[in-house]
Amino acid sequence: MSNVNEQHPLETDQPRFSVKKPEVRFDRQGEMPDEQRVRKAMQNFVKDFGRVAALYMESCIHCGMCAEACHFYVTTEDPKYTPIWKLEPFKQAYKREYGPFAFVYRLLNLKHRVTVEQLQEWQELIYDSCTVCGRCSLMCPVSIDIASLVSQARHGMFQAGLVPHELWAVAERAEREGSPLGATPKVFRDRCEWLADDHEVDIPVDKEKADVLCAMSSIEIMKFPGSIVATAKIMKHLGVDWTFRSDGYEATNFGLLSGNSAWQKDMSMKLINAAVACGARVLILPECGHAYGALRWMGANLYGKPLPFRVMHIAEFLAEAVKGGHLKLKKLDKSATFHDPCQIVRRGGVIEAPRVVLEALGVELREMFPAKGTNWCCGGGGGVVTIHRADGLRYKTFQLKMKQIEETGAELPVTTCSNCRQTFDDGQAHFKWDKTMNSLLEMVADNLDE
Amino acid sequence: MNPSSTVLDHLRSRGLTRRGFLQYCASLAALMGLHHSSVNAMAEALGKARRPSVIWLPFQECTGCTESITRSGSPSIETLIFDLVSLDYQETLMAAAGHAAEEARAQAMKENFGKYLLLVDGSVATGENGAYSCIAGVSNLEALKEAAKGAAAVIAVGSCAAFGGLPKARPNPTAAVAVSEVVKDKPVVNIPGCPPIPEVMTGVLAHFLTFGRLPELDPLGRPKAFYGETIHDRCYRRPFYDQGKFAKTFDDEGARSGWCLYELGCKGPVTYNACATVKWNAGTSFPIQSGHGCLGCSEPDFWDLGGFYKPLSTVNWGSAKTLGAAAAAGVALGAAAAAAARKRQDDFIKGD
Amino acid sequence: MELLEFARGPGMFWSVVIFVIGVLWRLVGIVLLRSKADLSEPRNPAAWRGLRNIVMRSWPRREFLGGTVFNETMGYVFHVGFLVALFFFLPHLLFFRDVSQGLIGTSFGQVFGFSWPALPGGMIYFFSAVSVAALIAVLIHRLISPVKRLISNFDDYFSWFVTIAPLVTGMLAYSHVGAPYQTLLALHLLSVNLLLVWFPFGKLMHSFTIFATRSVQGMQFERKGASL
Repeated sequence: MSNVNEQHPLETDQPRFSVKKPEVRFDRQGEMPDEQRVRKAMQNFVKDFGRVAALYMESCIHCGMCAEACHFYVTTEDPKYTPIWKLEPFKQAYKREYGPFAFVYRLLNLKHRVTVEQLQEWQELIYDSCTVCGRCSLMCPVSIDIASLVSQARHGMFQAGLVPHELWAVAERAEREGSPLGATPKVFRDRCEWLADDHEVDIPVDKEKADVLCAMSSIEIMKFPGSIVATAKIMKHLGVDWTFRSDGYEATNFGLLSGNSAWQKDMSMKLINAAVACGARVLILPECGHAYGALRWMGANLYGKPLPFRVMHIAEFLAEAVKGGHLKLKKLDKSATFHDPCQIVRRGGVIEAPRVVLEALGVELREMFPAKGTNWCCGGGGGVVTIHRADGLRYKTFQLKMKQIEETGAELPVTTCSNCRQTFDDGQAHFKWDKTMNSLLEMVADNLDE
Repeated sequence: MNPSSTVLDHLRSRGLTRRGFLQYCASLAALMGLHHSSVNAMAEALGKARRPSVIWLPFQECTGCTESITRSGSPSIETLIFDLVSLDYQETLMAAAGHAAEEARAQAMKENFGKYLLLVDGSVATGENGAYSCIAGVSNLEALKEAAKGAAAVIAVGSCAAFGGLPKARPNPTAAVAVSEVVKDKPVVNIPGCPPIPEVMTGVLAHFLTFGRLPELDPLGRPKAFYGETIHDRCYRRPFYDQGKFAKTFDDEGARSGWCLYELGCKGPVTYNACATVKWNAGTSFPIQSGHGCLGCSEPDFWDLGGFYKPLSTVNWGSAKTLGAAAAAGVALGAAAAAAARKRQDDFIKGD
Repeated sequence: MELLEFARGPGMFWSVVIFVIGVLWRLVGIVLLRSKADLSEPRNPAAWRGLRNIVMRSWPRREFLGGTVFNETMGYVFHVGFLVALFFFLPHLLFFRDVSQGLIGTSFGQVFGFSWPALPGGMIYFFSAVSVAALIAVLIHRLISPVKRLISNFDDYFSWFVTIAPLVTGMLAYSHVGAPYQTLLALHLLSVNLLLVWFPFGKLMHSFTIFATRSVQGMQFERKGASL
């Protein structure tokens, strides 16, 4: 499965990673009979299934209220985007293969075997139209964490070779080269060196020992290199003993997003091992949503024991520095609104930290409605922004976001996730919008009171 | 008794004034729920009515119904009723006996063929061709069929005649049935009760005489005027039910305070009868008023409905053992299902 | 009256047996599945505080109102109506007392040390009627809402039927409409039998699992300090 599908040549010179001439289609990876695809999908779906997932699967009352929480449904009103419906074949498979009454369902054939056609049809629903933002999980009156089940379903889809092609290719490249966007260790080292020269700032790479290990997402390395510089400036300002490591710098985890749990583990272990190797007390994750969830909440479970260091999102780190009085900032006389990245705020628990930093920057914060835990997703998370055929759908959801921001009347939209930022940039270009998303990290770095 | 004279003639000859007659009609009208404007019409109709011949056949019965009708409370109602009709056969009340009585019956049936009213109390034994209950060598079953042929209408008096009553109670050794099970081609009015309220019996007769037809009946063949509402609906203790105040035993504070007897097994909520309004013994009282729940004696099969002192909601089961076994079975099935699921998971991981 | 005898005798008994077997089968079948400990460092070690989700989730967040007002309102109305009729109608209370008397020789009230008064029958009738009206409304909504129609299956419609049937038959029995009381009571009890038999195998199980799902999500999310 390592060769890139020749039917869909990659377009590598574009600002966004994609394939040429995207069209509506069902992507398949590898060659295997349909029956095997279905079997693999089911096996890997239930492989790391457990009590909690089963409980969720058993409890849906089909009230349909989750639809109202989903930006894909709300902006299209197409019922197939109802979050729980996105899991339909998996619910069917669960009940037939794994649930308490599985035996009865099989015996009487009350729940039919899932077909490959069904899975193909659901590829769009599991990948293109779900950012795993988890808004529906909060809406659900029964409290089913629908988003976590979508992630589980992706495990099955990946092993069955039914992943949207770009997402598959990005994940495969990340596994092979260490970065989905070509930011190999060598490229990363070169970049840091070049940025250090350019900005006259010290960017330590591969220090043997350091208190703090920082990581970056490929999006930042390749598209928003300002983040690297900003991180370096702030660390210097705070006088932290820190480093980047070329054996563990990539924070994105396309193994997680595409549904390959083995790759997910490989990617996370690089960071964990690097942090252990340099004896770091703290691993700071960059402005990247899923990177935070992947390491902060899943890292220890992949590692098999509690992590010997603290995992923080950069915004948390900045907020602590503000509270500790170490971070001196110039006041910014502007109004701003904060876009809550789902995996960091809603599902990650870093809710107040970015606001603490914004307050320290002296901006007038105008919250969106809704904000914090129930803010709308940017529409590009969960790997969706890589899937080119989903662009039309994503732009629809983005209008929701633009409206929300316009309504605050704030001058500066700010966020703390480079994937959101990328989605905003793309949406901005598409709609020729006059608002540009700002990085909280860069805003801090630009306003350091030296 | 001369069956050809009118009711009013007959009453006058016995010294009843017109005013007294009107009063009687008014009380009957009230009893039947008729508008007071119908009193005059009623008096007129009753006055002109020919006294019909009435034949009263006793089957598997206890004579309680006859006792009841003779204890009718309002002034001389029983006298009036016996004056209103020509009671040509009633074993208990008639002077004649033996062959003379049977001859009187045969003669009355012959002379009034097609016009007489047939009253029946007691259920009809059908087992062994009706041999369980015979009068003068004729089974009740045969006697009823014979008498019904010439009857204008049949009135089943009491729960036994109306629904089979006590003789029909399980295991029903005589294969007792209700009159309506035997008589299919004549109108049958059921006046259930064990016994029925006397004024209800006389009221139905008066209605027939007044209007020349039977009163409006409910699906069980009961006159709606008397059986249209449940005891519960009209019970003076109903407010206590609505407030949730219940006597728990027959001598507790609730019982002394006259609270609802539902929990002591009162069948008032499902019993259609006029006890709570007409009452007994000339309007003196009725069972609930005397502190005992309604037995539901005017409802079909009241004897077999699970105990007079069990509340209506009573369930007839309860086995902790079986439920314990069910719980154990459920847990075992759940454990087996979980084990099977774990094994499938292991197989998937191995087979990958 | 054989129907009534069956409905409240063997019918009720066996449907309770099936209910008990089914509910435990399903719950134990879930509980005994694998579960991995979460090794990540909790943001909030007092994860139990997330149990507040059991109550909190009963009330929608302001941000989520709007498209769900109908669902929320009708859901509340029919649940409350149903539960009031179930737990505050005197014959039901006596039924429970009899069941407990049969099972443990005394009433549950004595064991657990609390009891509550019944409500007047007319009030129960009113609550039942409102509940029935709301159930009809949610059925219509299920049939006309594209989302609900798409995601509905046999379970949804059948569970609706077994929920509304005891309400309707109960109201008929209370008002003695259409048939003799005993027949109506038998129908009412049979509808309850059906409800009990279906309960463990369909979505009505949410009556139990909802407490588990809300607890689990509540504690997992509280542990992360995530939004609830």
